[in-house]
Amino acid sequence: MIAKDIPTAQLGLGLIKYQRGRYLLNVLTWASIWVMPMIPALITKAFFDRITGEATAGFNVPTLVMFVVVYAVGRIAVMFLGMWNDAHLMFRIGTLMRRNMLERIFELPGAQSMKESPGEAISRFRDDVDENVESFSWTVDMIGLFVFSGLAVWILVGIDGTLTALVFGPSVAVVYLAAIARHRIRRYREASRHATGRITEALGETFGSVQAIKVAGAEPSMIAHFRMLNDRRRVAAIKDKVLTAMLESLFWNTINVGTGIILIVAAGAMRTGEFTVGEFAVFVYFLGFVTDAGFFLGLFIARYQQASVSFGRMVELMGDAPPMRLVKPISLHLTGDLEAPDVVPPHLAPLEVLEVRDLTFHYPDTDDGIEDVSFAVPAGSFTVITGRVGAGKTTLLRAILGLVEPQRGDVLWNDEVVEQPAEFFIPPRSAYTPQVPRLFSMTLMENLLMGRRDPETEVKDAVASAVMEPDVENMPEGLATLVGPMGVRLSGGQIQRSATARMFVRRPDLLVFDDVSSALDVETERVLWERLFRERSGVTSLVVSHRHPALQRANQIVVMHQGRVAAIGRLNDLLATSPEFRALWEGEEG
Amino acid sequence: MIPVRAYWRLLRKYLRPLRARVVLLAVLLFTGIAFQVVNPQLIRAFIDGAQEGADMSTLLSYAAVFVLLAVGHQALSVTSTYFAEQVGWTATNEMRAALAEHLLDLDMSFHKTKTPGELIERIDGDVTTLSNFFSAFVIHVVGNSVLLASVIFLMWREHPLIGIGMTAFALVAGLLMIGLQAVAIPWWRAVRGKRAEFFGFLGEQLGGTEDIRANGAVPYMMHRFTLIHREWLPMEVRGRWGFSMLWATSIAVYVFGLALVFGLGSRLLTAGTITIGSVYLVFHYTELIRHPIDQIRTQMEDLQKAGAGIARVEELFAARTSLPEMGTRHLPDGPLAIEFDGVSFAYRDEASDGESVLEDVELDLAPGRVLGLLGRTGSGKSTMARLITRLYDPSDGVIRIGGIDLRDVERADRRARIGMVTQEVQLFRATVRENLTFFDERVDDERIWQVLLDLGLGDWVFGLSEGLDTMLESGSGGLSAGQAQLLAFARIFLRDPGVVILDEASSRLDPATEVLIERAVDRLLENRTGIVIAHRLATVDRADDILILERGRIVELGPRRELAADPETRFATLLRTGMEELLA
Repeated sequence: MIAKDIPTAQLGLGLIKYQRGRYLLNVLTWASIWVMPMIPALITKAFFDRITGEATAGFNVPTLVMFVVVYAVGRIAVMFLGMWNDAHLMFRIGTLMRRNMLERIFELPGAQSMKESPGEAISRFRDDVDENVESFSWTVDMIGLFVFSGLAVWILVGIDGTLTALVFGPSVAVVYLAAIARHRIRRYREASRHATGRITEALGETFGSVQAIKVAGAEPSMIAHFRMLNDRRRVAAIKDKVLTAMLESLFWNTINVGTGIILIVAAGAMRTGEFTVGEFAVFVYFLGFVTDAGFFLGLFIARYQQASVSFGRMVELMGDAPPMRLVKPISLHLTGDLEAPDVVPPHLAPLEVLEVRDLTFHYPDTDDGIEDVSFAVPAGSFTVITGRVGAGKTTLLRAILGLVEPQRGDVLWNDEVVEQPAEFFIPPRSAYTPQVPRLFSMTLMENLLMGRRDPETEVKDAVASAVMEPDVENMPEGLATLVGPMGVRLSGGQIQRSATARMFVRRPDLLVFDDVSSALDVETERVLWERLFRERSGVTSLVVSHRHPALQRANQIVVMHQGRVAAIGRLNDLLATSPEFRALWEGEEG
Repeated sequence: MIPVRAYWRLLRKYLRPLRARVVLLAVLLFTGIAFQVVNPQLIRAFIDGAQEGADMSTLLSYAAVFVLLAVGHQALSVTSTYFAEQVGWTATNEMRAALAEHLLDLDMSFHKTKTPGELIERIDGDVTTLSNFFSAFVIHVVGNSVLLASVIFLMWREHPLIGIGMTAFALVAGLLMIGLQAVAIPWWRAVRGKRAEFFGFLGEQLGGTEDIRANGAVPYMMHRFTLIHREWLPMEVRGRWGFSMLWATSIAVYVFGLALVFGLGSRLLTAGTITIGSVYLVFHYTELIRHPIDQIRTQMEDLQKAGAGIARVEELFAARTSLPEMGTRHLPDGPLAIEFDGVSFAYRDEASDGESVLEDVELDLAPGRVLGLLGRTGSGKSTMARLITRLYDPSDGVIRIGGIDLRDVERADRRARIGMVTQEVQLFRATVRENLTFFDERVDDERIWQVLLDLGLGDWVFGLSEGLDTMLESGSGGLSAGQAQLLAFARIFLRDPGVVILDEASSRLDPATEVLIERAVDRLLENRTGIVIAHRLATVDRADDILILERGRIVELGPRRELAADPETRFATLLRTGMEELLA
């Protein structure tokens, strides 16, 4: 299921290195929290020695009571420190993984960034991160336990080497058992995670299309489908959990049987006098810790497999980035001063001419796409790309802007090949409005600026150019109106024009519009182009449209047909020479 | 304090169907608790025996029983894990489905405030915190409390003073833990809220990568990521304080018990009231209650999180739709009349100031007629469609379909008989068949193929690698706009409604493709009442009547031919001049 080999250990180590100091503190605090209960055992021994009169020189009872209280205060203090540090540590490594994933997704070509639907991806940001943060916290307990059991072993060997070897026997068996079960653990975990992904995906899609479902009266069947997915996860999750429980049991049983053997051997030794009662008591006391360590080790192997599954799912989300990217150390700025980023990069080379040469892109496993597309867009021009549905208009825009990765061909900015189009085609060079633009759950103003700090007057100008000002005037909160999730509080046309205004605010050299006509009536579209020419003169526009007002204004029309350029020219030339264009033009008139 | 009654109600509601399994689970868990008490006794007997030089066979039998009991205990624990998981998942799945159903029933004004990502976290994430609450919480708390009570009873037997001391202390500790548990619930609730906010944010980001990248907003969105996490971190740390406080309480309980044994034990011993053996026994009991106290503490920690989940789930369940479904009447067969009787409407949310979107609209459309609805962007066309499909109720006036007040029509009937196609076609990552039927398995393939062939989609689906079972991508991925649109038509055809609304259904299609769809539209409107919303004149060619809306008011309504023939009408002007004049 997972294509790449996942360097689970390196990823884990990467996380440890990232939070070295906190990790060390965590190991120290938690090791003490587990070891400290030895203290009341010693105090109790002193107490009984005292009251039975075996020790008359030791501490008196009130002092012992005081010791107990001091112990409690000390342990509680260490525990609070440990919890506090642990909360910080775990939160930070979780945040690091989430941040690196999101950052990487933004780096990928936007339009084909994820194979997974957003809902599915959310389960990787949520469950897989949570899962691995938990596994990570286990390593802390592991280390504490091993340090302690190391000490214990050292003491035990001093008492009886053979017995100590017997104590360790079961631990070896446990590790062996865990290793055998490795593949099954992985498989069950993958199935369970996959089932969860399907559920988050279904929920995301359902609540992303509430209106369609309501109108279709499809609630019962959607819920039935959701129940079915839930049921599948129940089965997968129970398999996963019960397997882990069985392994745990197996580990304990191995250890229990081992303990039984040790008890018998030790008892025999004691009866023959090779073994004092005191030694026996120590043995039995430490035995618990050493077997715990064996148990934890066995479980850790199982956890390791599960962590590897989660790492795999997260790495998979990041396209072909190297796996270590997931734990790349970066500052999270979770505390201290935080400055909003400067999102206005310097502009070095104003557009003179944009050229597309032999651009070719095909979606994987299909014939859809574009083939050998070449044309030039001079600065200040208005270029319209037109063609039938499926002719490759949107794909062409995406290929130029680096939102998909072309298989062949170049895009040139002022005669220079753009090597990294996805990083290059951003404001102030260019801005883009997709066919179905997305707004985000913020105020309209925040949606337009997206971190820029332009004065409100400029934003208002942009809103006016986008023919959006009457709408904004009608909103009681004006630009401070919350637009709702993905902008749903606005109408389709308002979203489209907001996205257009968002582009204008950025004042790029090149404006790229993908078919504004789907949400705007002809009149509004005409006014939009008119204002674009009047108020934003000098700007270069690359527009997908089939509407007359756009075609009439075009300096150049690129007619696409089945992924290739069928004709290029001005309106009148094309009407005379291109039958394909004539069909489109006349269809529009109806 | 914790709302015990609310918890009880939940448990009863979701566990009642699982009664048998819950009883079985209780037996398993109680037995497990008993094992936990007995096993250490065996080791003690063994050690005592070894120390006192009991004979080898006795020791061997102790060891054998120990191993047997331990193995038995493990078998028990796997079995109870299995049943606990079964009960937990079945109960929470039931709750997930109920919650999802409830949320789907809420009206659009609710959905305009909640991102799908947030709802994912609330339905799946919050409910998951309840799993242990359903499966093991009560059993563990009751079982361990019984254990605790019996140990305290044994202490009473040793000496009333010790008994009183331990009882008083156990009560204080218990009340303290319950109180502390409740203190932390709002803290965890805040964490869960922040998580939901983050996943809502994330869902939007993942769905809008194109917009974000191409407009240079990546640094800004990462900044927002940081802002959310900066608020989230202190909440998480505070939630852990809740755990710490409970744990501190359990340490204090144990240490207090120990101090009590030391102080009281030595005093009573000196006074000669009890023997040294009794002091040891009391000490041993103190050790014994450590385990149940820790168990109760762990359950209380879990209840802190679960309590927060319960509160958030209840909050969602408490949300009420403003469109209660009380209707019981059925619509007549065949095409349906549509009547607007003095209908006004205003959206009531932040994006609008309650200004009327529709004002006193009067319309009487006979069955089988097709109405062309024209108007500029924002004139109220889509709102009319949403009222007819009852996504909203009018603020004033009545809408009657087939002569019946829409509010009195039974929901299933309404949904089956009124169909709408919008320009947004939402596809699911599922098979073609599931996309067409909305996962309704009762629709047979023959009927689906019939519809596909009628719409001219037959060749396309036939050409797919797995036909109807081919998986489609979510959003609109993998399909052209035209294909997606035709699929949306097919969805409607499968239901055979009496009213069909096409809301700008073909606007994303280029003119050449639109011609291909014309035939499908003709089929769709055949023998049905139709409302065609368009901003292209050609689209309303097939209309019998024309309605022109301006700022929510009807400015023209009449039979298309009559309007076209009268040069004074707006419609005729439109036809003469093209759409350019629609602004006038």
